[in-house]
Amino acid sequence: MALDLLNLLFFPAGLGLIGAGLLYQWADRKLLARFQNRLGPRWFQPFADALKLLGKEEIHPAGSSPVLFAFLPVLALSGALTAALYVPLFGLAPVFSFPGDLIVTLYLMSLLTLCIGLAGAQTRDRFSLAGALRVFTQMFAYEAPFILALLTPAVALRLAGQPGSWQISELATAAAGRPWFLLLLPITFVVALVGLMGKLELPPFDAPEAETEIVAGALTEYSGRGLALFSLARAVELVVGLTLVTALYLGGVGSGPLAAVLFTAKTVGLLLVIVVLQTLLARLRIDQTVNLWWRIGSVLVLAQWLLLILYQVLR
Amino acid sequence: MNASASDRFVIPIGPQHPALKEPGHFEFTVEGETVIDATVRLGYAHRGIEKGAEGRNWTQSLYLLERICGICSHIHSTAYVVGVEQMAEVEVPARAQAIRETIAELERIHSHMLWLGVAAHDAGFDSLFMYTWRDRETVMDLLEAISGNRVHYSANSLGGVKFDLSDETAAAILKGIDFLEERTRHYREVVSQDAFFLQRTRGVGTMTRQEALQLGVVGPTARASGVARDVRIDSPYIAYNEFPAHIQLLSAGDLEARFLVRIDEMLDCYRLIRELLARMPAGELAAKRMPRKLKPGEVISRVEAPRGELFYYIRSTGGEQPDRVKVRTPTLCNMGSVLTQTIGHNLADVPMILVGIDPCFSCNDRAVSVRRAGRAEGQPWSWADLRRYGIDFYRRQMGLETHALAKG
Repeated sequence: MALDLLNLLFFPAGLGLIGAGLLYQWADRKLLARFQNRLGPRWFQPFADALKLLGKEEIHPAGSSPVLFAFLPVLALSGALTAALYVPLFGLAPVFSFPGDLIVTLYLMSLLTLCIGLAGAQTRDRFSLAGALRVFTQMFAYEAPFILALLTPAVALRLAGQPGSWQISELATAAAGRPWFLLLLPITFVVALVGLMGKLELPPFDAPEAETEIVAGALTEYSGRGLALFSLARAVELVVGLTLVTALYLGGVGSGPLAAVLFTAKTVGLLLVIVVLQTLLARLRIDQTVNLWWRIGSVLVLAQWLLLILYQVLR
Repeated sequence: MNASASDRFVIPIGPQHPALKEPGHFEFTVEGETVIDATVRLGYAHRGIEKGAEGRNWTQSLYLLERICGICSHIHSTAYVVGVEQMAEVEVPARAQAIRETIAELERIHSHMLWLGVAAHDAGFDSLFMYTWRDRETVMDLLEAISGNRVHYSANSLGGVKFDLSDETAAAILKGIDFLEERTRHYREVVSQDAFFLQRTRGVGTMTRQEALQLGVVGPTARASGVARDVRIDSPYIAYNEFPAHIQLLSAGDLEARFLVRIDEMLDCYRLIRELLARMPAGELAAKRMPRKLKPGEVISRVEAPRGELFYYIRSTGGEQPDRVKVRTPTLCNMGSVLTQTIGHNLADVPMILVGIDPCFSCNDRAVSVRRAGRAEGQPWSWADLRRYGIDFYRRQMGLETHALAKG
């Protein structure tokens, strides 16, 4: 019981996760800065930002519902934190696990996007409204291919004759006993990784918060605590997403003393790939994002599934 | 289909907005993400410099006018000194003219480099932004080495230039532009080949040659639409007769063409600077004598600023001070094209299209009087009207008693 509480509140979920999220966010910013020939922030900058914002006055804009305005950031953060309970954070066993938690996690991860969109849509600010429109548009673009891509390893396992499951911990253990799914399913791996960038609104999918067009997008009216909670939720979601992709595609959760270290190293490696992509690519317009996902992303996923089935039938 | 009022709303950009480096106000009416109408309001940074020049003598005005723009300061002072020297009938030594041209071309490189970064940032391509601005430091350092200043080089004096180019400085410039040329070629590759970036520039904000002529656009914006218009070539000033620039023309007229024209111009600048340094004429740095008072008369001086044709009208009544200095910067000529280009485009393209003309708001800002359509105010204001308005304005603003002035 005490151990459960410890797991839930401090490590690996809870405060430990938030701390890790901020560290990952720092790594993201620092690497991006170094790639762009800048100095970048020091390691405690995201922590300082979060603390500073939490202590600041929150300005509530006229014309929006005060309840929703205060409640949405909380919901977003709790959604992200709850999603973290079912994934093997840092290669450790998930805090909770039940059959079907993969689906639940995927939906909990979308809660953040929904909250950001709603937060923008319920203010009267024109930049927020335009940003909210883009958040939802982008979500409808990447969501289906992203979810399908993360379900693919489970389908592949089932097709390979192993007991099927939608349970992340089982999938991660099964993945550990075989070659990385990255090699078997390279196409959906790419879709999952790029989908994660879309979910986190990282460049080139940062049209919803394109500062040169719509200031800060859906979150333009947020300041102080609300903004801090949203940014913490993003940090948590970054860790959860990286963990999920690593667990499913990069050799799952192994056993042994170094398994946790190895797993964490893999997530950092994945972050590095994401940062390189951010450095290389220019922002896409929202219509181009939609095109990319529906014309290429979803077709790629379907092609991967077709290949899987063909392989199974021919064998 | 008629959009109902709820489908369309106005997105205001500015006077304070992250996409704008200077204050200007735009209102874009959008339907979903598509712009259907656009208006602009300028004049937030009007500084009264033209009026200020009238209260200073010919030399003092030079320093004032150089401060119109922080990016193309040298070209403003060049336009002014060329006009004043013409009125004073002063012969400027060839070496001074060549040094003026060298600095003007270095300034063009720094301005285009800066623009490339700003435009890349507006496209959400921050890596290109950071790298171009790092490389821009090279040319800034060169200008500092030559003049001691990074922004206002203060190179021109009436009748000549203030400093010489030593052999060491020339060697440093050559080394610097070798590096810059290599980088510029790389950026040309990025801008013309990067698939993600091309999605944001190719076919966006297209302006045909016909439209460009109708709207009277100038500078690289016009040359990207195939309008062969470059003051350096059309009516050479300073040393452009001996060291001619080559015109850079493209016909596509879209944002990509505007990127490429400016990058090609930088490459031409490197060639021109090498030629200038190789064949720098020997001689004096300034004319022997520059009169303190100028004969009555007027002159029009046109030069090619990095953004296009810069126009100066200078009038003397025979005193120590200019009677009138009128400045028209290229941004004013190009601003109209932004409004027509954005219509029908995605809101996301608007900052790109705006930055495509390389706007410089504060330089072009002037007092504006808006006339409502249908009101019979007809004629533009005369000089006397303007004077009357100015007097009334200050009387209202400050409660000044200006009867004595008004009579005169």
